Amino acid sequence: MLHNSENESSDTFSVFKVYKIMLKKYLILSTITLTLLVFACKKDEQDKDEAFDRGVMLRNYTENLVVPAYKDLQNDVATLQQKADEFINDISDEKLQDLQNSWLETYKSFQYTNAYNFGPAGEQGLNKSFTEEVATFPVSISKVENILSTGNYNLNDFSRDSRGFLTVEYLIFGKLNENNSDVLALFANNEIRRSFLIDCIANIKSRVDNVTNAWNASFINSFVSNNGTDAGSSTSQFYNEFVKSYETIKNFKIELPLGLRPGQTQAEPQLVEALYSGKTLEITKEHLKSIENIYHGRTKNGTDGIGFKEYLDNVTNGKQLVQSTLTQLEAVKNTLNAIPDNPPISEQIINNPQYVEAFGVELQKHTRFFKSDMSSLLGIAITYSSGDGD
Amino acid sequence: MRKKLLTYLNMEISAAPLISFRLIFGALMIFSTIRFMHLGWIEDHYTNPMMHFKYWGFEWVTPLTTELLYFIHFLIIIAAFGVMFFHGLAYRLAAIVLFLGFTYTELIDLTYYLNHYYFVSLMCFLLIFMPSNLSPFSALNNQKVPRKAIALLKVQIAILYIYAGLAKINYDWLIDALPLKIWVPANDKLFLLGPIFSWEFTPYLFSWIGMLYDTFIVFFLFWKPTRLWAYLTVIIFHALTGFMFQIGVFPFVMIGIATIFFSDAWHEKLVRVFTFGLQSIKMKPFQPSLGKVWNYFFAAYLVFQFLFPWRYLLYQGNLFWSEEGYRFSWRVMLMEKAGTATFYVKDTLTGREGIVDNSEFLNAHQEKQMAMQPDMILQFAHFLGNHYAEKGLYNPEVRAEAYVTLNARPSRLLIDPTRNLMKEKDTFKPKDWILHYQN
Repeated sequence: MLHNSENESSDTFSVFKVYKIMLKKYLILSTITLTLLVFACKKDEQDKDEAFDRGVMLRNYTENLVVPAYKDLQNDVATLQQKADEFINDISDEKLQDLQNSWLETYKSFQYTNAYNFGPAGEQGLNKSFTEEVATFPVSISKVENILSTGNYNLNDFSRDSRGFLTVEYLIFGKLNENNSDVLALFANNEIRRSFLIDCIANIKSRVDNVTNAWNASFINSFVSNNGTDAGSSTSQFYNEFVKSYETIKNFKIELPLGLRPGQTQAEPQLVEALYSGKTLEITKEHLKSIENIYHGRTKNGTDGIGFKEYLDNVTNGKQLVQSTLTQLEAVKNTLNAIPDNPPISEQIINNPQYVEAFGVELQKHTRFFKSDMSSLLGIAITYSSGDGD
Repeated sequence: MRKKLLTYLNMEISAAPLISFRLIFGALMIFSTIRFMHLGWIEDHYTNPMMHFKYWGFEWVTPLTTELLYFIHFLIIIAAFGVMFFHGLAYRLAAIVLFLGFTYTELIDLTYYLNHYYFVSLMCFLLIFMPSNLSPFSALNNQKVPRKAIALLKVQIAILYIYAGLAKINYDWLIDALPLKIWVPANDKLFLLGPIFSWEFTPYLFSWIGMLYDTFIVFFLFWKPTRLWAYLTVIIFHALTGFMFQIGVFPFVMIGIATIFFSDAWHEKLVRVFTFGLQSIKMKPFQPSLGKVWNYFFAAYLVFQFLFPWRYLLYQGNLFWSEEGYRFSWRVMLMEKAGTATFYVKDTLTGREGIVDNSEFLNAHQEKQMAMQPDMILQFAHFLGNHYAEKGLYNPEVRAEAYVTLNARPSRLLIDPTRNLMKEKDTFKPKDWILHYQN
């Protein structure tokens, strides 16, 4: 004879009563819940518009920020290629300046794509993210000089510090102690420098074209419809790359050149972005501007749409966080605008670092608002691993 | 009274629930181990990171090479298979390997601590001490175990649920519906149910149901008249949390394990299905092996399990904030907490202080977990101090500025940002460098 444990106890009556009461409670609750669930499924039409719709936000981001940013970049790179061709055909100071101006415009445009390293611009197989492939800095002078003397190069290998926008910059602006007439001579005397420049730009162009073309209508639709908040959802990918891009400004564009890592004993000007053109400050401003635009859901020409800010406005305690974020962002921008335009950042961080340092401090203070506070309030997953289940 | 209890606990009952528990548990272990390897988590969790966060008292546990870790995971799969089907010494050995293998991998890095991993470790441990001469391939009506063996498993499961429920009885959870007020609307795109997730009262409803469910479900599973309904809610509840949160295999684990409360007849059927009706092995009649030592040991074990989760009462301050006595207490999905921790390392000879880029040393998961848990912040600080001392910094001082948000409140400093953490040690004593939480 098999026994069930519950049949054994001799004094079951009072226990039974308690059970019965609990059972009642429980059944009532389950009934209420089930009714609500059924009810809810019928009512969803009316309630939908009250809640924040991530799909609308994602559509604004893709159609009004991401895709236009890549299209702008694509146009600018095409112009850059054209200017380079013109320069190679006519190695003159005028054509060089045209090329340099075109490079600056293009690299500024690039800053507006800097935060979108997911999907077509994410890591794929041996390819690193789009940003790493086309905008790695500092450039390895030894590698580039080796290329210029031997003519051996492969623009698809792991040497990301000897190709991309900043290698092009090095080629057309020359070393810090070289002026435009030096650069003209270098191009005139070295056929490899000419062909390497053309090939570098062609390589950038093909990468930009690939990403831009991949953001087609069907990809946009699948991206917008993946509107959850779990790891791998569009919101999560978009958010994580946004934060990463923000942290890049602080960690690599400011703190590292300032020599603020433990173990660094002094400023290291060779680590600044856009060292050879000396346009570091201008570029940094564009990068921060693009980050600010993303936060607001704002286009490059200033049209405000639905973005993270509006999303936050719609969640518990979100308005409070938006307030703190905007206040701190003002401080960040104020310190950035307080940095003198001249001399270049690479010189300021040696002789007069306090302005850049002040900017770094405000960036640091701001990190938590974008990073943990925001992901926490929005309930966005930032890793793929399993959480603590219930 | 004591004699009565002993007689009751020692009474031989059908072993079918235990045999089928082994089948279900083993199958889940095999599934989750394959999943773990398939997702590339051996590399992501164990061998790619530069440093690992250690469990207190298990600082000596280090990851083996990737190849050996794969080997261990294959061993776990074989051992889980053994726990399902072996008997006698082979079973015992399989249970030991399963426990040691699984627990070893869990101890490699505190980052990945989950209550359910702890629970699985405990279950593996208990399986070592179950009667071993049982086989799913032997006639089921002849196989008996003392009631206490199965009761032990049931009590452990009951502790998990009830303590998880009791932990939800707090102001944030019940009155403010936090963190569900954050998590529920984030799931408003869920198939079919999504729309109600954006209703204002849904988080409140879910909070209360969750608390009542966890606290009472075991009683309803235990009692025959409510069992079926209770089990249906087990499926609904865990399926729902499974869809809503990234909690991996745990919904399956709980849905599988809760069957232990079912009747002997049900389990016999399940075993027959599992073994295609092959019940041909002749087992030796049951030898009572669970004697006095067993009784005392597991009495002590249960006392520990009952009391250990309450150790937080010995600490002052807000448990969710300081997390002193938080782990190993069945606090599952209980709070939304996140932080940003910035570390400053100072060369005490030159006075130059540098700012650390955490991502140079930690993966995203490690950084996320570290930034809000004081003991992990301390560990990372020590790692940094030692790392930079090796790099030539003189007697480095390390301090951390950790801003933490708890249940949607504005972030504030978690620990004293002026304190040199190289001077602090992780002990069970209250950590006076954790800043007091003021609401």
